[in-house]
Amino acid sequence: MNHVGETQTIAVIAEYFAGAVRPTTYECVGFAKALQKLRPVNIKMVVLGDDVESCSRDLAQTTGADVLGIEAPQLSQYNGQVYQAVLYDVFNQKPPEIICAAHSSQGWDYGPGLAARLKAACITGVSQVSARGKEIYFSRDIYGGKVSADIISKTEKTLLTLQPGSFRWNPTRNQEPGLVNIISPAIDPQASNTRSTHIHQASDLDLSLAKVIVSAGRGIGEAENLDLIHKLAAAIPQAVVCGSRPIIDNGWLSYDRQVGVTGATVSPDLYLACGISGAAQHVSGMQGSALVVSINTDAMAAIFNQSDICIVEDLTVFIPTLLEKLSGAKKAK
Amino acid sequence: MAVAVSMTMNILVCVKQVPEGEAQVRIDTDGRRVALGAGTEFRMNRYDECAVEAAVQIKEQFADTRIHILSIGPRRAEAVIRRSIGMGADDGTHIMTLEEGFVDPVVTAHWLAGCSQARSADLILCGAMSEDLMQGQVGPLLATQLGLPYTTSVIDMAINPEDNTIQVDREIEGGYRQTLVLDLPALVTIQTGINHPRYPALSKLLRANRLSLEILQADQLDLPQSKQQVDRVTLPRKIRDAVVLEGTTHDKAEQLISILSNRSLLT
Repeated sequence: MNHVGETQTIAVIAEYFAGAVRPTTYECVGFAKALQKLRPVNIKMVVLGDDVESCSRDLAQTTGADVLGIEAPQLSQYNGQVYQAVLYDVFNQKPPEIICAAHSSQGWDYGPGLAARLKAACITGVSQVSARGKEIYFSRDIYGGKVSADIISKTEKTLLTLQPGSFRWNPTRNQEPGLVNIISPAIDPQASNTRSTHIHQASDLDLSLAKVIVSAGRGIGEAENLDLIHKLAAAIPQAVVCGSRPIIDNGWLSYDRQVGVTGATVSPDLYLACGISGAAQHVSGMQGSALVVSINTDAMAAIFNQSDICIVEDLTVFIPTLLEKLSGAKKAK
Repeated sequence: MAVAVSMTMNILVCVKQVPEGEAQVRIDTDGRRVALGAGTEFRMNRYDECAVEAAVQIKEQFADTRIHILSIGPRRAEAVIRRSIGMGADDGTHIMTLEEGFVDPVVTAHWLAGCSQARSADLILCGAMSEDLMQGQVGPLLATQLGLPYTTSVIDMAINPEDNTIQVDREIEGGYRQTLVLDLPALVTIQTGINHPRYPALSKLLRANRLSLEILQADQLDLPQSKQQVDRVTLPRKIRDAVVLEGTTHDKAEQLISILSNRSLLT
């Protein structure tokens, strides 16, 4: 049980990809620091990879936490089976009270399996942490973000995966660096069943640079309504058309136009969300936008919690009206 | 068109019934549970629908394949089992729960693992997550309980009967994919976009509706210790100060244009 009081240990598992630590790692540190404000917590970092010496030193410097670097040639590419086996060995003797990792293609893959092996509770996609009395609450979105559930762990050990974009922390260099310990466990060369990690579709489109994004979600209904989205984008200077996962799954827009956890992370001056419900996986990719305007028929849609301007309208009615007025405004000039 | 190769395969697909995305979601008076509005419509979780389709495609390739469907839920959940059979699955088991509400994924995985069809499966397919609770845990927990290798977020896969393996592509961030090979039996969780699930065939739906499903009562099954508890549910905090535009459609369009102009976004 995660009570406020005695000092506990939180192990933050860094996300290592292509020889470097991913930014989500620092979000996990942000979570650990937020937890530290609620109760005494000792933060430790763990990084797995084929060459982790320099990134371990860097993490120790920027976080002030002790870092355990686990180095093996088999860890050059992520592999769920290997991660579970290696981390189980590291944690099994003296498991930390809390283990946390990003809710990413790595964390959601090895996390629940590792938790089961360690007999730990597993709470995934956590976006907030709070305390009431002695109890610590981990909150996560449910029902596409329409409601949030406050969850209590009922075991001594808890593994958490954290929703990308939910916690923030900026690396600093003005502190005593933590200790670095690099270990090289023997791993069976056959243990990894990863055969390759490769770019699926190369693209020159860099959405992270887009000034204005007009984005379509499942709420557009029919493929034909995508025309409206394209017309709207054409009417706004420098606008690019994007979509949420269902639109890309349907083949209505190309893969490189997907915004969200498995797609692009964007931060335009204007994000115009058309028929997007606002599930956490999508929001993670667009919450850095300067101005968010959302059009949705469902007044309860989660996207409205992430919006500056909310328009409860049927987009097949609203967008044509908007287009008419936009072209009228242009002519008037 | 693939030539049918002789290979006997038992595939288990775990499916869940979820409320329609537009469902009215309220918080119960005790603040601990979600209450769905009267008249809420339910359907198959989309990730699971893709898992059923993936299984049916394997069956089309290897004629000696049997597809068993497993679902946990109240009486209404039977509809998704019958729909799966309408899509091409052979039969199904319904673990019937009495109540609505949160079930710890540890409990769900334990009940699924207790079914003989899970223990005898060559391949278990689950959706990568459910659209309502979005935990993404049941697949990995079930695999771990059964001692099977697993992988998640699979967007492409192929069975190799020669060496009894499955090769999969899993989707990772930044437009990358990862290719893995798993020895069968194995469990794979399916990402949407892997296929376009077919509509159930009328003839198969008729058969599905006549077929009697295996029914297990959840309250008679062994209940493992729950590891987490939903203490309360709340409305999510507003991240931004949302201004809701009022008036007619025309009014709203005009207000929006003026907001965008003031921020120099239209020039």
